[in-house]
Amino acid sequence: MTRHLPALIIVIPLLSALVTSGSGWFNQKAPFRIAVSALLLSLLCAVLMLIQVVTTGIAMEYRMAGWAGPMGIVYVIDHLSAIVLVVITSVSCLNLVAQRKNIHAEFKDKQGAFNALYVLFTAGLIGMTATGDAFNLYVLLEIVSLSGYALIGLGNTRAPLATLNYLFLGTIGATFYLLGVGYLYIATGTLNMAELTTMIPKLMDSGVILFAFIICVTGLFVKMALFPVHGWLPDAYSQATPAAAGLIAPLTTKVTVYILIRICMTVFTPEYTFDHLDISGFIVLVAVVTIVFGSLSALAQKNVKKMLTYIIIAEVGYMVGGFFLGNRLGISGAILHIINDAAMTLALFLAAGIFIWKTGGESRSDLKGLFAKMPFTMAGFVLAALSVVGVPPTCGFFSKWYLISGGVQAGNYLFVAALIFSSLVNAVLFFRLFEIAYFEPFGEDEDHAHGHGNSHGSHHHVGALAIKEAPLDMLVPFLAACMALIVLGLYSGTIITNIIQFAIPTGVI
Amino acid sequence: MKILGKLTILLCGVLLMVFAMEFPNWGDPESPASTHLSPYFIQHTMEDTAVPNIVTSVLADYRGYDTMFETTVILTAGLACFLLLRIERKKIPHRYYRHEPTGVTLRMEGEKYPKNSAVFQRMDANWVPYDFVISRTCRLIIPFIQIFALYVVAHGHHSPGGGFQGGVIMGASVILFAISHNLRTSIKNFSEKTAALFSVTGVFIYAGTGALCLLFGEVFLNYSALAPILGGDRVMARSHGILVVEIGVAVAVTAVMIWIYYNLSSAGKQDEGL
Repeated sequence: MTRHLPALIIVIPLLSALVTSGSGWFNQKAPFRIAVSALLLSLLCAVLMLIQVVTTGIAMEYRMAGWAGPMGIVYVIDHLSAIVLVVITSVSCLNLVAQRKNIHAEFKDKQGAFNALYVLFTAGLIGMTATGDAFNLYVLLEIVSLSGYALIGLGNTRAPLATLNYLFLGTIGATFYLLGVGYLYIATGTLNMAELTTMIPKLMDSGVILFAFIICVTGLFVKMALFPVHGWLPDAYSQATPAAAGLIAPLTTKVTVYILIRICMTVFTPEYTFDHLDISGFIVLVAVVTIVFGSLSALAQKNVKKMLTYIIIAEVGYMVGGFFLGNRLGISGAILHIINDAAMTLALFLAAGIFIWKTGGESRSDLKGLFAKMPFTMAGFVLAALSVVGVPPTCGFFSKWYLISGGVQAGNYLFVAALIFSSLVNAVLFFRLFEIAYFEPFGEDEDHAHGHGNSHGSHHHVGALAIKEAPLDMLVPFLAACMALIVLGLYSGTIITNIIQFAIPTGVI
Repeated sequence: MKILGKLTILLCGVLLMVFAMEFPNWGDPESPASTHLSPYFIQHTMEDTAVPNIVTSVLADYRGYDTMFETTVILTAGLACFLLLRIERKKIPHRYYRHEPTGVTLRMEGEKYPKNSAVFQRMDANWVPYDFVISRTCRLIIPFIQIFALYVVAHGHHSPGGGFQGGVIMGASVILFAISHNLRTSIKNFSEKTAALFSVTGVFIYAGTGALCLLFGEVFLNYSALAPILGGDRVMARSHGILVVEIGVAVAVTAVMIWIYYNLSSAGKQDEGL
């Protein structure tokens, strides 16, 4: 059975997505249940594979349709993909459970289609992470993009326009990647990543390979919203419904960074990326600009969700910059940050979802007095915010520590300064929110009016307020995500020594 | 900003051209693409899969996993159109009907209208009378188009064709019916629910065949595991397995084409339309 895990992890969500979509025509409750159980099974597969890879230390290989290597498509689960698979499945599962009420309220008769697209999106991400074939990656990228456009497009009134922008830029990014794969195929005649690794060193001076690298990486930069090509992200993510934003915001950019690492390290080999090409310095500079730009733009936002989207852009800068430092510490930091940032973004977007569910507004001032009203939610939110700022023992501190150490080791003090600057800006951002939520009094909301008016039916007194927490099925997954931030932080040493160390080729020092 | 965009496009185009200079010559038998994998497929396809058409066997067997997800991409497009466009039909206060024998137009309140009546015909906002010549001609050709579609699906093993092409032709025949008559008539014959369920079923046939191989103890999509069910030896089972998944693809593509057409042509209302 363990032999088939790499197939099961994607086949189960795929088949259940089909059943989900069909069941939506007969029953409006079944789709959600099928989707959750499929994602849980998928999570189980991911965890089992991670355990197996870590205990044996050998990558799992699975030959689709029974054809080996370059003829067929091979799935490879190594340390890097195993940990990212766990992240994808757990984030997707937690978010779906947390959004049950939201989905029910927003997609009344279309729950089948929504849940099916949700599961298909997750399946696509799983496949992109597990695949060992450069073209298969593109096919799954198509699934992720298409289902992503649909999920985002059904947000508020401005969502279709934001999605159209996203669609244009996303298509350009995906097409660039496809062109790059085409160039690689022309130069080498193969699409298999393992075989490409052995072929590239012989072709290091080939112009076709050089252009394949440039265009693949540029396409991925568009997809992950690095600085000059970031324009689609803030609108698309902030206009989407909470259920879709909670899935797409934590995962899409992070998985794209994973693909970047995979393409640069497994396909093009670190020697080619870092030593042969002299571009690392330039890309780190772009990452620095991304970090500064993302942080400053976040500072300018009044809308909480929009502020979070600019923080995502800054975090993309962290990971890309850390990876292109080209040393072991920096790459470890980038990989660790993929995991941590997925958890942090999930926690923040779940919190935003709860705020919108309870207050109906997205602006900063809607947070007034929430500490008194929703103490548990706000405690979790504070934890997530501290993690984004980078306060120990939350996980954000540790990945930032590795990134900064990597920057110092590489002698790139500009990157270090950008990281510290961004942390300070994040501190300002979140403490401004805490101030509003803690100190500012309630507005004349319905509780007050109620207290003044007919007094005999009211439980509230003027000035005093009962706790009005979010519904439990939103709160529990959210608090679980917040706990994960602490757990990831406390065990980050274990993750580095047992998993990430083996994910980086030994050639990288 | 516009100039910047144009410059970027120009730069990309020039770069593409410059690096294309280093490509091997067109059709060069010594190029990596022709020397690395192609010889294997040319020499082994027949003994591996018993399919004379190499393209079909690469598409549906060697790289069948990609094709399964390409089919899923099509289903995703159908689902996306449904999720984004479909809106509920509004209660309409009154409708216009035409009494065929006399040509009189009547206005009726609500949905009071004898169902399946031969003499009354509902008139939409953009109503035009059926063109006799067009509707009869289409009725005549549609069966032939559909038989040709089935031929294309079944003959993918030997000639250009297969599930995608056959499915598109089949879907186009239904769309032709919808255009030559009207959307309502076509929905009456092939409802939205049918389209949605068929599109899911098609992908399910493909992925389910793969999962069945898992149940027989072989790897995913390894059709040779199905030899006991499909008959023949393990190589013939691959050939038969390819036919099964091609049928799945055809069903999915047909249904998704129709589903997308319904949603696009009626702006999601599926009430009045082209």
